[in-house]
Amino acid sequence: MSHTITVEQLSKTYQVPEREGGFGAAVRSFFKRKYKDVKAVQQVDFKIEQGEIVGFLGPNGAGKTTTLKMLSGLLHPTGGKAEVLGFTPWELKPEYLRAMTLVMGQRNRLSWDIPAADSFLLNQAIYRIPDDEYKQTYKELDELLELDPLMKKPVRNLSLGERMKCEIAAGLLHRPKVLFLDEPTIGLDITGQVRIREFLREYNKRTGATILLTSHYMADVTALCERIIIIHHGQLKYDGGITDLSHKIAPFKLIGIMLTDADSHDLSKYGTPVQNEEDADKKYIQVKAEDVTRITSKLLAELPVHDITITDPPIEDVIEQAFNQ
Amino acid sequence: MLLIIKRLWQVNWAEQWQYRANLLMYLLYWLVSPIIYLAVWTSIANQNGDVNGFTANDFTTYYMVLLICDQVTSNIVIHTFGYKIQDGSLSGELIKPIHPMLTNALINNIAFKTLSIIGFIPIWIALFFLFKPDFSNVALSGILLAIPAMIMGFFIGYLLSAAITALAFWTTRVYSIHEFYFALILLFSGQFVPLPLMPKLVQDIAQYLPFQLFLYYPIQLILGKLSTAQIIQGFASGVVWLGISMFLFNLVWRNGVKRYSAVGA
Amino acid sequence: MHTLKLLSSFFKVNVQMSLAYRTDTVVNILLNLMWLGWELLSLNIIFSNTTTLGGWGFGELIALLGVFRLVNTMMMALIWPNTEKFNQSIRDGSMDYTILQPVNSMFLVTFSRITVWRIWDLILAIVLIVVGINITGDATTTLNILTFMLLATTGTIVIYSLWIVLIALTFWFTKFDNNVTILHALLDSGRYPATVYPVWLRLIVTFIVPIAVATTIPLQALRGDLSPSQVVIFFFVGVFSFIIATRVWKAGLKQYSGASS
Repeated sequence: MSHTITVEQLSKTYQVPEREGGFGAAVRSFFKRKYKDVKAVQQVDFKIEQGEIVGFLGPNGAGKTTTLKMLSGLLHPTGGKAEVLGFTPWELKPEYLRAMTLVMGQRNRLSWDIPAADSFLLNQAIYRIPDDEYKQTYKELDELLELDPLMKKPVRNLSLGERMKCEIAAGLLHRPKVLFLDEPTIGLDITGQVRIREFLREYNKRTGATILLTSHYMADVTALCERIIIIHHGQLKYDGGITDLSHKIAPFKLIGIMLTDADSHDLSKYGTPVQNEEDADKKYIQVKAEDVTRITSKLLAELPVHDITITDPPIEDVIEQAFNQ
Repeated sequence: MLLIIKRLWQVNWAEQWQYRANLLMYLLYWLVSPIIYLAVWTSIANQNGDVNGFTANDFTTYYMVLLICDQVTSNIVIHTFGYKIQDGSLSGELIKPIHPMLTNALINNIAFKTLSIIGFIPIWIALFFLFKPDFSNVALSGILLAIPAMIMGFFIGYLLSAAITALAFWTTRVYSIHEFYFALILLFSGQFVPLPLMPKLVQDIAQYLPFQLFLYYPIQLILGKLSTAQIIQGFASGVVWLGISMFLFNLVWRNGVKRYSAVGA
Repeated sequence: MHTLKLLSSFFKVNVQMSLAYRTDTVVNILLNLMWLGWELLSLNIIFSNTTTLGGWGFGELIALLGVFRLVNTMMMALIWPNTEKFNQSIRDGSMDYTILQPVNSMFLVTFSRITVWRIWDLILAIVLIVVGINITGDATTTLNILTFMLLATTGTIVIYSLWIVLIALTFWFTKFDNNVTILHALLDSGRYPATVYPVWLRLIVTFIVPIAVATTIPLQALRGDLSPSQVVIFFFVGVFSFIIATRVWKAGLKQYSGASS
């Protein structure tokens, strides 16, 4: 059986104009632009089967969105091949467009000034969805997302979470077989994130749709995906099960401590000191997971500690560490 | 204070420079209607010999000078500031120890104008050769008098536009109000046609409004068409209007900011 | 058939939107009336000083104002709002969604915003044309009226095509969000017969930004000033400009997706 998504040696190189600051440079760039090549995606290979939910991870600027855009057909690659449902995405065949959807957490598809219901009807016309099928799909989506109370209000009066529900539903009205989701939970609170996750799992179970999603939140991925693809600096770094991955990346924890006279203590003998801009009051060190208990008690015993926290390091840092060496 | 102004200038100049391509388009937009009026009226004057004493060259010189005066006295504060009140980004500026409209926005406008005047000079010269106006009656004294008059006109216009922009504290329809205000300028400033060719009623009302100080008055100064008494009268009314517009602006701005902070936008 | 259904969907959505902004609609209609008043006043000022302008009488200029307002209505009701939406969609990236919809993207970009109340403006424009022709008192033949309608349509298509080309340029110069200013700027030249303009300006508004093709020329057809071969030429100009616009749009989409680089 052929794969739903096949990606071979997919590459994308952008030409970005270079610009220095200052008046003189501005004048020069007006006449002659310099470009530099940015390799956003470099020879990426993977295959995805029908019905899989795959998490697509990587730090900011790793090439996740570029890859999703190529797979949905928005961008032409500079090299390599991709096939989704037997189509080459960037040919933008209407049959393909009716079989897939792209939902981007930071973009709006719905018109702000009118209730979502009206935008939905417009989508019905655009995707040529027959009335009875539309009603059926809407009913199912409503069951999962509780859309009804949101439909009558202008979109701009909805909360971020409510709006995201509507955005996702709008992208699914035509019952796509493949879903590309770029940061579908971005900016949502924990409850919102959980709801979207539950919905996606249920939707996948009911329809057998193939889902490829990117997320900043590790929890999204661990809750939904059995398989993870990691790219970093445009290159494929990992493709495999999530449990294998956690062995590779989980062994670190972050210990944050607040001390009386923070600067007079040398923390590097306990673990690797880490910068954290968000919380300048605390000092952070990174330690191996199995050492957490031992080092914590040592810290408490030896230093004037006011407050102590133990957290997972952010996903970017973990990937950076695991794959950058 | 000087340092603040210098820094503000640097920032705003750099910002406007970023938009230079847009600025060219804006210049073009702004040029077209005076040129159309010029063409229409010179064609009428050529056909009939003159229009109420205005010869074709009178029209050509009038609109050629109008282009300069409009370039100096007009402003874009409604476009650069109106949205800040509406989308709440004004909050960031209100807590700074400088007046948002009388420093930053003002300097931004001046940076914009400086750049657009630089772009405008070659265009004006090209138009000069296309229309060949006869400026032999223009004297240096008129030009020297027109400079303070135009600066005065700019500040009156800026303060009035700023006051209208500040109405955004109360209503989202501030652009519509501005459109109406713009129509008033068109009617009473001499933009469409030299004021003596407007209906009598319009001329009479124009005497009591500040709008002719933006265009008609400085144009006539440059063209040397005013008597000493008229020149003095013009400057006097300019000073009075400067006071009135300052007062109006402060009134609207103070109450607006009060309202803004009360609503907590 | 499907196109009509889509259009009516767009229309419904836009009626919804204008209902959300009722007061603005009323204010806009008032402002529109104000500008009509200004236009009539300015014509009155012109004709209190002369009997003809560029060889055209008062009635003819009223009719020209009508034709101008016809074009202007298309601009106001479709072109400007859709330009705004287009530019915004380039800025915030929602253009991605437009491209991924299984409908011709040029169609989507043209009709996704419709300023519904401007229909009223269309009626007003037609009234002006009819009144203008009556004031002139010319015995206008049916043939003249038909060629007038044909060339008004052609001229409108020429301007529409120019618009498509201008906004498509945004695909190459992403920060070019004053893309339509040139159109906006020169539009006003359509208020007066191009015959009063100096030659260089007449050339610009006929060939480069062909506002006159949609205003002066159809009216010349109405007056019976055009030869049959001229009518045919203008008709084909319309056809070709549309073909070129479609090509440029496609090339622009390719640029957007990085296919051309």
